[in-house]
Amino acid sequence: MPDKKTIDYTKYKLKPREELDEILFGISNIFVISCLKCYKEFQIITEPECHDFCEYLKEKNIKIAGYIERDFLCNNYFTEKKLKELSLNDAEAIGVISCGIGIQFIAKLFENKKIIALADSFPQSGNATSVVGYHGIALESEKCAACGECYLNITGGICPVVDCAKSLLNGPCGGAKNGKCEVNSNVDCVWEKIYKRLKEQGRKFISDTETRDYGKFKFEERKKLSLSNQASRNESFYGGVYPLERKEETKNLAITNFPDPQEVAIFPSQHTGSPAEVLVKVGDMVKIGQKIAKSVGLISSSIHSSVSGKVISLKKKIHPSILKPLPTVIIENDGLDEIDSSVKLISDWATMSKESLLEILQDKGIVGLGGAMFPTHVKLSPPKPIDILLINGCECEPCLNADNRVMVEYSEQIMKGISIVRKLLGIENVVIGIEENKPEAIERFQKLSNVKVEALKTKYPQGAEKMLVKRLLGREVPEGGLPLDVGVVVSNVSTIFAIYQAIFEGLPLIQRVLTISGDDIVRSGNFMVKIGTTLNDIVKFCFKGDKEKLFSEYYVKMGGPMMGVNQTSLDSSVIKGTTGFTFLKKNVAKTSKENLCIKCGRCVDVCPMELEPLYYAYYGQKKMWNETIKHNVANCIECGCCEYVCSSKISLLSLIKKTKKNAHNKIKK
Amino acid sequence: MAFAKKIQSGEFTITSEIGPPKGVEIEGILKEAETLKDKVDAFNVTDLQSSVMKLGSLATCRLLVERGLEPIFQITCRDRNRLALQSDLLSAYVLGIRNVLVLTGDHTVLGDHPQAKPVFDLDSISLLKAATGLMEGKDMVGNELVGKPEFLLGAVVNPGADPLEPQIIKMEKKIEAGAKFFQTQAIYDLKSFENFMNIVGKFNVPVLGGIVLLKSAGMAKFMNEKVAGINVPDKYITMMAEANKEDRPKVSIQIAAELIKGMKGLCQGIHIMPLGWEKHVPSVLENSGF
Amino acid sequence: MLITKLKNKEEILLLLEKKPFIIKCFGCKEVYFPEDEIEELLKGNESKIIGVARLDYLCREEFSKLYLTRYSSQIKKSGAIIVFSCGVGVQVLAKLCIDKKVLAGCDTYSLDGFQGLSVQNANCEQCGECYLNYTGGICPLTACSKGLLNGPCGGAKNGKCEVSPEMDCGWELIYKRLKGLKIENVTKESKVLIRNYKRILDELGYNKNNIKGE
Repeated sequence: MPDKKTIDYTKYKLKPREELDEILFGISNIFVISCLKCYKEFQIITEPECHDFCEYLKEKNIKIAGYIERDFLCNNYFTEKKLKELSLNDAEAIGVISCGIGIQFIAKLFENKKIIALADSFPQSGNATSVVGYHGIALESEKCAACGECYLNITGGICPVVDCAKSLLNGPCGGAKNGKCEVNSNVDCVWEKIYKRLKEQGRKFISDTETRDYGKFKFEERKKLSLSNQASRNESFYGGVYPLERKEETKNLAITNFPDPQEVAIFPSQHTGSPAEVLVKVGDMVKIGQKIAKSVGLISSSIHSSVSGKVISLKKKIHPSILKPLPTVIIENDGLDEIDSSVKLISDWATMSKESLLEILQDKGIVGLGGAMFPTHVKLSPPKPIDILLINGCECEPCLNADNRVMVEYSEQIMKGISIVRKLLGIENVVIGIEENKPEAIERFQKLSNVKVEALKTKYPQGAEKMLVKRLLGREVPEGGLPLDVGVVVSNVSTIFAIYQAIFEGLPLIQRVLTISGDDIVRSGNFMVKIGTTLNDIVKFCFKGDKEKLFSEYYVKMGGPMMGVNQTSLDSSVIKGTTGFTFLKKNVAKTSKENLCIKCGRCVDVCPMELEPLYYAYYGQKKMWNETIKHNVANCIECGCCEYVCSSKISLLSLIKKTKKNAHNKIKK
Repeated sequence: MAFAKKIQSGEFTITSEIGPPKGVEIEGILKEAETLKDKVDAFNVTDLQSSVMKLGSLATCRLLVERGLEPIFQITCRDRNRLALQSDLLSAYVLGIRNVLVLTGDHTVLGDHPQAKPVFDLDSISLLKAATGLMEGKDMVGNELVGKPEFLLGAVVNPGADPLEPQIIKMEKKIEAGAKFFQTQAIYDLKSFENFMNIVGKFNVPVLGGIVLLKSAGMAKFMNEKVAGINVPDKYITMMAEANKEDRPKVSIQIAAELIKGMKGLCQGIHIMPLGWEKHVPSVLENSGF
Repeated sequence: MLITKLKNKEEILLLLEKKPFIIKCFGCKEVYFPEDEIEELLKGNESKIIGVARLDYLCREEFSKLYLTRYSSQIKKSGAIIVFSCGVGVQVLAKLCIDKKVLAGCDTYSLDGFQGLSVQNANCEQCGECYLNYTGGICPLTACSKGLLNGPCGGAKNGKCEVSPEMDCGWELIYKRLKGLKIENVTKESKVLIRNYKRILDELGYNKNNIKGE
């Protein structure tokens, strides 16, 4: 068994020269498309076959009309997109260096062009005696023949179909000498291995007679599986994943009030833009809903106290999404629940001017509750014409049900909130998108007129703005652009609910609904939680595991398992963008050292933004920011699909975040 | 041998077909064949037709030789790799078999052992080439043989296929690979057959038009729906449908005779596939003027 | 692409009698993994099961090693390990726990487009002697049910293979493609193609000198 690093999983080799001579006879100019191969240690170097072939062309005086090297030629979607841009009119023929799948796809793509296969493809055998055998997603020595009738139960977990040169099922052929196969004296007789293993385990050596059933897996069935798989991959948008939803746990739990905290730690920075300016000092008494920090400039938002009591400190605490120590306003709850006089409903909103309404929203500290916390008054005064309001009720993150419950329990309030936004944007057209896994919410809104409800197939990240706009409205948000570039404002359902509360109840944004769930959680559920409630209070309330080992054995994510931010301190607290806390036992494999990328290509396959995340990992680790910019890292929406499927368990998301930041700084300079 | 001589002389040649039994009782079939001795020039012996396990073609061919009948050994690529195929050709020669019809063979999933592994190591063209090689004293990799076999190699073509052109291209390749005569899929439409013959006439290789006796209207409809290249015209289906059960053989014979008469001017012979109605072959030939 | 299908129910229920520890691999879940069916099957048999782990990429040996340490106490108590994964996953675990019965709960199949990163309509048999130059870029080995190299068998009806009405005749597709390319008689002009199975074996390091002379 060679050292793993040296295993060459090369799928193809350039055809022998004599054959090249023959197939290129009479051709004077050729366009070359070369695949960069998959399933190998990822290094950015040109494949030798491509280089060798170009040398060959020079030698033969055949003109190279053009030349492109691509990853994963077999990825139909990408390859088509990329290659259609090429102008191939001048080329007499297209030569393809790739495995047979790539060649066939390109032949289909350019049906009226002469396609020349320049390479032969070879399989990876089990043990150099038989031809059968596929490797798994990882590059291990074990192979599977995909025979459809697994015999491993009777052979001690050693596969005779792959590892026996004759694929014998009922025992050795008798041709082995000194335990080595007659076909290759470097290879062990697999039946001898099976015999030994069964003996060691005290098991009987094959007693029944086994006969292969070659007809078992019918073409129809294979085709059905292929098609259903392709359909699910292409559902709604390119890429995406179907993670375990884990929504059942909290789906039907009504929203309850989280126990009042003894103390809250409220960050003045809870929104995109400048942090709010703190208006209180230690010792001040505050009431519920009292403004404790005011917005600075246009893109900023005000902050209000969620309890009544005394300001006891302005200490820095770890911010739950920025993960750095930032100032807080720590208020001791006096339990009197005194409400500030500013909290009163606005009865004449319908006759108010847009400007004054927006001012109220800013004053009440309303920001986007989906997680990004973009100030709502800015979003609702778009600089470009808007014709559609798209309400995002997807909540595609696993584990979370906060939006779902808000929709189920407050649908009428949301409709009132929508009427305010309609007035602000001066539009009538409202579409609400809800994933199919929330039938109750869908039903609620379908009953209400005046709004179009779209049930969406459940697929992550269905709720990402760009996906949603494309899927529901058929509009493509330009690279680096926003939905408003295509006339759409997208708003989260909970934000709409907050707008309702601000106007109809006069309540500033001092509480929100969030979901607590995950591994070893005793009281999971959907709670109305006061902004500033500490993670410590939440852990005390719901976590049954060993608190000492909380951060070493669990991921505590603010948000869901996919996009949630890993928490590092019990001091951090609930902010406006907290959609939930999810506790996940760490995967043991993940804690091990970072593994090499083996170019399985799955990250490219699932990236909904149609990017190539493997390059971010590679260049990011090497600090080659320019290269990451070239690969459009700025377009990444940090949905985490790539990390979710990474077969090497590379922490892609954190690498990408770092890369993005550095690339951004680089661009600024 | 007589068949080779006759077909190469350009004389109208008649072949028929024997399907070996599923089992070992073969006497009846051989007796039936003997009754046709003077009317039929050679007998094809099918090789596990439709992928159904049966008595072998090679043994049956030898039994025909022993009774003074001339067999055409059908050999398919479904069940043997190139070692076994070449070896069986040599065996056939030493058993006195001189005519070989090379076919691809039906897929195993269509037969009575759908679990079996389909081999298809070679296809019909490479097998023809291999057989030609054996006749030249070499096996497929160029090793010398001790003594050379001699065969009259034949192949099949499906004139009713749609699209037809790939069949014709393949026919030409088969000729290049050594095919000296062709037997066709069943013909029911003389007009399209004439068209086919007009195209392949230039190859100068004898073609024996296929005749399958219709047993019922249902069979005709089934073939129209399922069998490649077969299109039984409505008038024959109506004729069969209108005949009562005991009259059906008569009507069927009448149809076959009509077709055979029509073929006389078009091709170099006929190949009758009775599919169990061997007993009616004499009357078919009689009614066709033989 | 490797995918798994559950073995038949009776077979698995029999395996459950061994007081097993169960490992479900969802490494290729985005491709196909019968997770719901497994759940269904295990329902009502919880008492027989020592424990269940839901993991990914069992095929990666270093991951599997770590998994085994985490679940070592449960595995020790179990009578066997049932692995729901492709054949590679089962074999890796069998290798890592030689003293335990490692059993397979699934049968494995391949889907078209295996070497590629996702399920595709085209497939490559990795024959080592690419024929696509003669066939308009459609592979006769994988598109024809018999893998014929020199033209159609004649068994196709209405463009569909004799094997299944769901399956297109590969050679008819090739013919149409070549026709579209206006390449006349490519199949005729090309030499007779015969597969060379040894070429792959050579590539795989088949020891030539070691073949028994007969």
